[in-house]
Amino acid sequence: MNRTSTVIKVEGVSQAFGAEGDPRRVVALESATLDIPRGELLSLIGPSGCGKSTLLNIIGGLATPTTGRVTIDGVEVKGPSPQKVAYVFQENTLFPWRTVIDNVKLGMAFQGVSKSEREGRARESLEAVGMQDFANHFPGQLSGGMKQRVQLARALGLQTEIVLMDEPFAALDEQTRMVLGEDLSVLLARTGKTIIFVTHSLVEAVFLADRVAVLTARPGKIKKIINVEEPHPRKSNFMTSAKLGAMRNELYELLHDEIRKTMTLRAEVGGDK
Amino acid sequence: MNRKGPLMSPGIARLLVIIALLALWEVGARLYADPLFLCPPSQAVRALPHILTDPKILNAIRITVYEVLTAFVMAVICGMAIGLAVGLNGFTKQSILPVILLLYATPQATILPLFILSFGIGPAAKIAFGFSHGIFPVIVTVVAGVQNLKPSLLTAAKSMGASRWQIFTTIIFPHMIPSFFTGMRLGMTAVLLGVLLAELYVSTAGIGFFTRLFAESFSPPDLFALISVLATIAVVLNEGCRTAERRFSRWHTA
Ligand SMILES: Nc1ncnc2c1ncn2[C@@H]1O[C@H](COP(=O)(O)OP(=O)(O)O)[C@@H](O)[C@H]1O
Ligand SMILES: [Mg+2]
Repeated sequence: MNRTSTVIKVEGVSQAFGAEGDPRRVVALESATLDIPRGELLSLIGPSGCGKSTLLNIIGGLATPTTGRVTIDGVEVKGPSPQKVAYVFQENTLFPWRTVIDNVKLGMAFQGVSKSEREGRARESLEAVGMQDFANHFPGQLSGGMKQRVQLARALGLQTEIVLMDEPFAALDEQTRMVLGEDLSVLLARTGKTIIFVTHSLVEAVFLADRVAVLTARPGKIKKIINVEEPHPRKSNFMTSAKLGAMRNELYELLHDEIRKTMTLRAEVGGDK
Repeated sequence: MNRKGPLMSPGIARLLVIIALLALWEVGARLYADPLFLCPPSQAVRALPHILTDPKILNAIRITVYEVLTAFVMAVICGMAIGLAVGLNGFTKQSILPVILLLYATPQATILPLFILSFGIGPAAKIAFGFSHGIFPVIVTVVAGVQNLKPSLLTAAKSMGASRWQIFTTIIFPHMIPSFFTGMRLGMTAVLLGVLLAELYVSTAGIGFFTRLFAESFSPPDLFALISVLATIAVVLNEGCRTAERRFSRWHTA
């Protein structure tokens, strides 16, 4: 297959919550359009509440858009497609009553992987994220960063072509994020997966991505897409490079206006009451 | 090392408290009590062998244990089914749960005569009354147990392709196990209360019948011996639930 062929096509997707005319109606996304080529890592950034998770959930089939449609390999998304798409959530969604390895295996069981295959695949993906020594721990015994590694292993174990990550490192401290970011870059360079990575860290967005898509304030639209031309895996010196710094500043400029908009919006709403 | 020394473990302290209470009872009963109504514990202990060898009383214990276990199993199965049906659905939770809570709060002793009228004076009435006591704590704890399940766990499972049945067996069920066992323990206590109340009220068999008989025939040693047997049964059943709970919810403390 061709590396530049489009895998995920987002066509004029809008999402509103609440009935039309209801004063509480929230338009989370407005005609977002996006093409994602095979093997690309796309970062998605935007002000908080602008519809990033909403967009990701629509692509993953966990939500149905009000208008527009998403296709994966030309097939319209109508529900979760566990054979093609794996998720890494911001929240810890490991099952606390199962050990680390059993969590990874359970994902495969849900997906329909035969029992004999699960053990080997689970060990492999735990090794890939450096968690092989904690296979028999329970999630409650792990730090936040380790839990995220396990969630990543669970997603990798599903061996899907697409991985959707919704602020997977948001709840972690900065040092942990840094290390995880570097490890992720190495890991993903090997796998050739198509990835959408939502983050609110501008540096993280640039460091990991082939392209960074900036969303506007709610209702979210794609404001601009920036190319990051830098080979994978990214080295830690890219983190401190002037190139990354310049791109970070460009993103900051783009985002700044949008974030201001949401703040004034909130002030107005507050003033009404 | 602890300055109090290894002698003062909680278990030993507990034993000392029990011994002290028994001693107080022994002295109090010998000095002040009317032997027609109260006896010292030493006499109750002396009455134990004869209680435990009397075939009529042994039969009564068997009947009560049978009634309690039957009512308990029924209460757990039905309570869990109803608890799941009510708790897993927002609509039924809002419409039906308040009714269940209302019934739970109503003192059922007032309608005991109705149970006797409908089920007769045999074991059926005792089982029914024990069941109606035990089912409510099971329902309420199961509802509470499924309620605080994180929705994100369900979303994650669905995203990986979990079927409804898989979601039930691998997420909802293990999640509610700890509260389910709490419900079982509360249910067991309630079933025991229900069965004994019914036996005390009207019956010709069972432990309740004999406790009433011994009380009315002024033989406190027999009465207290039988009560101690009953207490032992209650403790054993309760410990059984706790052991099962520990086995199934290791991850909780892990
Ligand atoms: N199920 C829902 N019902 C109503 N409003 C929702 C729902 N999900 C999200 N929203 C609203 O849609 C907007 C976008 O949410 P989200 O996609 O989570 O934003 P973010 O970019 O921070 O991930 C927010 O204002 C949020 O309050
Ligand atoms: Mg979000």
